[in-house]
Amino acid sequence: MQDRPSIAPGVNTEHFNADQEPLTSQFAADPDMLELIGMFVRELPARVESLQQALARSDLATLSQVAHQLKGAGGGYGFPSITSSAAEVERLVKAKAEVDSLHEAVSDLISLCRRASSNPR
Amino acid sequence: MIMSRRQKVLVIDDSQQMHPLIQVRLRGLGVELISAYDGQTGLKIATEEPPDLILLDVNMPGMSGFEVCQVLKESSQTHDIPVIFLTGADESVNKVKGFDLGAVDYVTKPFDPAELCARVRAALNTKALMDLLTTQGQIDGLTGLHNRRYFDERLGQELAAGHRYERPVGLLMIDLDHFKSINDTFGHPKGDQVLRKFADVLTQTCRATDVTCRYGGEEFAVILPASTLELSHQCGVRVLDAIRKCPDFVDIIGRPVTASIGVACAVPSDRMTPAVLVEAADKALYAAKVAGRDRIAAAELAHSQTVV
Repeated sequence: MQDRPSIAPGVNTEHFNADQEPLTSQFAADPDMLELIGMFVRELPARVESLQQALARSDLATLSQVAHQLKGAGGGYGFPSITSSAAEVERLVKAKAEVDSLHEAVSDLISLCRRASSNPR
Repeated sequence: MIMSRRQKVLVIDDSQQMHPLIQVRLRGLGVELISAYDGQTGLKIATEEPPDLILLDVNMPGMSGFEVCQVLKESSQTHDIPVIFLTGADESVNKVKGFDLGAVDYVTKPFDPAELCARVRAALNTKALMDLLTTQGQIDGLTGLHNRRYFDERLGQELAAGHRYERPVGLLMIDLDHFKSINDTFGHPKGDQVLRKFADVLTQTCRATDVTCRYGGEEFAVILPASTLELSHQCGVRVLDAIRKCPDFVDIIGRPVTASIGVACAVPSDRMTPAVLVEAADKALYAAKVAGRDRIAAAELAHSQTVV
């Protein structure tokens, strides 16, 4: 894959695998959806930032809220893996899971959000 | 779609991203979408310009979707607006609770576009039919029989036809015996069930040409076009018999149900009004009640020709 997502400098890329290819929306071929997917993807960096800040501050309420919204929207925009990953974060917060596993789950979610692409395949 | 007007769908969801998504997915339905991002605002919009359907997110900060639904169902202004809950796939408890609160359906997020469309379309169709019934107003909402308004109109028409073709018009006024005590003892939901079952038996027992109506409360009326007093009387006897023997009432309230009937019949004169025939049948009904209920009594119409 040539279109690798760019990695913002200075962010934690510990769990990011540079070989992972961009995540394409299931609905990318639907002309009605194309513009919306673009909007959704353009807003993802802001979500990623909220997730990172919330994680750093151990702000579980915000973590849970952002994850909940990503869970509801991700699949709707053709990114079911974002939905399942966000659901896992939400579940871990609710279950008051250990910090390590929460970190890992949030990193997975962030990684998926970064890979999401609005380009048609 | 039977609506000429564009139907409105109110989406109440705190997640901004859901709104454009729903907009695109429902584009094919030709509905107008209104957005609210919290429960309070949603309630305000629902009250000020009632939509035809509300898509309501369950999990919202502040006022939850359940609380919003509760308020909607308590107010007469918003009570009849159908609600579809938007709920996470893993929140199965919410589905049951949503139905308990009066929702008509739910859609799990993330939703399948075709499913969302189908569920919204079905709810809007039902709403349109309900609107039609309310505006045209010929059907009794509880029993599905013709309502009082239709009865008055139809009886007038049948009397006019009876006069023109010189044929008799029969009328049964039917009252459930001791219905108040059924309501008081078993509660209104059971009382409603009894009324519905009663209506079923009535429809099944009468002939296809008879016009079965709910006159009000526990009183029913049957117009029998082109029927003599004897035929009308026979029909009344069949109804009493069927009610008395219907096993479903025992299932509902643990005992059988009976009714009393007043029957009147006339070949109408050109001056005869529906009120005259109704009054005559009502008097006979009263006589049947006084005589001990679970029976039929016939009216004597002094000032118009009765046919036996």
